[in-house]
Amino acid sequence: MSILDSTMASSASGMQAQATRLRHVSENIANADTPGYQRKTVPFEAMALPGDGFGQASGVRSGAVILDRSALTQIYDPGHILADETGNYLGSNVELMVEIADAREAQRSYEANLKMFDQARQMSQSLIGLLRR
Amino acid sequence: MDISASLAARSYGAARPLTAPDPEAAGGPATSAGRFAESFAQVLEKADTSARAAMTGDADPHALVAALSEAQLAVETAVAVRDKVVEAYLEILRMPV
Repeated sequence: MSILDSTMASSASGMQAQATRLRHVSENIANADTPGYQRKTVPFEAMALPGDGFGQASGVRSGAVILDRSALTQIYDPGHILADETGNYLGSNVELMVEIADAREAQRSYEANLKMFDQARQMSQSLIGLLRR
Repeated sequence: MDISASLAARSYGAARPLTAPDPEAAGGPATSAGRFAESFAQVLEKADTSARAAMTGDADPHALVAALSEAQLAVETAVAVRDKVVEAYLEILRMPV
């Protein structure tokens, strides 16, 4: 596996990790109104890509999901079936603004990885194109 | 006339060992070309399996795109090398003898 090939593999792993992150963001947004829902966050960790071991490339992968343990929001709705004697019930701790910002960040990182992928491909193509003249 | 003919025969005889195959180099280019063909076939095989897996929904598109670009680059490399080899062969064929 050449250097440019491993560059492309690293970028592909980055894109995969960002796609997983976006999936969890969309799960959080979908559950924004679910009572008692705790938002999920995805940690990233470095991983070794399959290779010959020498000068081995490393990529990224998304690790196990971590639940956000911050306090759930108190929602006042006496008519709700889960409401206690004060008329409050526990909603989710999803902040829509935070989730949208997270989704946008995932999108930008995805684009950066895509750009690196394209760059590596163009570099190898122009290198091979040199042989054709 | 006799002298020039024997001279030509002698220089031809002297030049003959140059075209004999070198025992040290024997197998060198052949085995490396074989290795190249082997890794080329491996890359194509990988692209094939990931394309099949993506069609059945087993692989994610990122792996498919990476495998297909790798296969495309491998094919382009092979075509460029083949063109160079054929060109060199034709160049030898056109050599005035």
